[in-house]
Amino acid sequence: MSPRDIRAELSSARVEAPPELRARVRLIAAQAPPPRRLTRRRLTLVLVPVAAAAVVAAAVVLSTRSGPQVRHGEALSTGAIAPKAAAVAPSPTRAQHYEATLRLQVRAIAAAVSSAQRIATSLGGYPVSVHVATGPKAGTADVVLRVPRAHVQSAVAQLSRLGTVVGERLDIQDLQAGLNASDRTIARLQKQLAALRAQPQTDAVKRQIAVLTQRVVTLQREHASTLRRAHFATVRLSLATVAAKHHRHLNVWPWLGGAAAMLVLVLAWRAVRRLRENALLSRP
Amino acid sequence: MSFAEAAEQHLDDVYGYLAWFTGDRGLAEELTAETFERALRLWHRFDPRRGSARTWLCQLARTVALDHFRSERRRSRREQLAASAERIEERFADSLSPELEEALRELTAGEREVIALRVLLDLDAGTAARVLGITPTNCTTRLNRALRKLEEALHVAA
Repeated sequence: MSPRDIRAELSSARVEAPPELRARVRLIAAQAPPPRRLTRRRLTLVLVPVAAAAVVAAAVVLSTRSGPQVRHGEALSTGAIAPKAAAVAPSPTRAQHYEATLRLQVRAIAAAVSSAQRIATSLGGYPVSVHVATGPKAGTADVVLRVPRAHVQSAVAQLSRLGTVVGERLDIQDLQAGLNASDRTIARLQKQLAALRAQPQTDAVKRQIAVLTQRVVTLQREHASTLRRAHFATVRLSLATVAAKHHRHLNVWPWLGGAAAMLVLVLAWRAVRRLRENALLSRP
Repeated sequence: MSFAEAAEQHLDDVYGYLAWFTGDRGLAEELTAETFERALRLWHRFDPRRGSARTWLCQLARTVALDHFRSERRRSRREQLAASAERIEERFADSLSPELEEALRELTAGEREVIALRVLLDLDAGTAARVLGITPTNCTTRLNRALRKLEEALHVAA
């Protein structure tokens, strides 16, 4: 039998519903449609996408905020996260590396930059660098200031009044432990030097004295440099006019990743469903 | 078109499709009734702009049949039935030759399904593909395979 003949014979086949089935279906059709019920399935079909959309929206909103971040180095008591207008107080007894970063929205870049520099100098500090970029509608500026660590809280408070604080970060690292260790090393070496000087000054002894003296001098210079650095805190200002807005660290990857994961799950589910269906239909 | 009119007009199509799909007329009767019960509940969702009532009813019938197959499989697993399902020796249609009937019985449900839609109901490739949830190309490929299998079975029988 040729394929055409097969097809022709199949096409000519007629299948009629038996009379009892027809009567049954007529009875069904004669009924009024049942009232629509809020089934669990229907609720799930509505609620799951709504919940997923809410989660994605929340992730986007949260990722656009950059609240205050504080990192503390070792041997520092944990202070509270700085409120917007004030920084965590520096330690009066221990040397620290102290760095504060403020992101501000301001009305006018030039005025804000001048004011920032004035604030730093009024507190005994100085500007380290200023970078300004202005356009017809918007402007940004990055300013790095050094102010005495003892006045950094006052500096942060005054600087934050230049505009609206949209981001804040604080990094504090203790340096005192290293300084104390250096002091102990210097003391030990000086004790060794005193002992060597009390000995007969042979060439070997003189060479040892020279080496140890050099080490002590180096350590003392490093010590002094660390103390000088610790005396000043660094304040980094990132300014932008309202139109410019800062480069928000919109971390799109988490929610993009989430959406992609959901898409993969849906596709995988559909593929599995299709495979199961084919398996079901592959039997005679 | 009212639901009653659609039911009257397409009852034979739905029943014929399910009879060939399942290979069991008794089962096809049950599934046909269930299809129209479901269709009555969902009639408000039928949009004639998106397709004919016949296509919509066939899609619904397919879902009903697949749900039945799945629940049967779960039941047989629970009951740990080792034997395969009983073969029902019923005719697919009165006008078919015994050889063709036998050859149809050898096809899988998926193969009979595509023949029912494309040949028995004479749906075009696009419409049949929509019922099956596959592409028109895939639908045509399946049909050709099924017909080739029929041809081979008839050739062997001869």
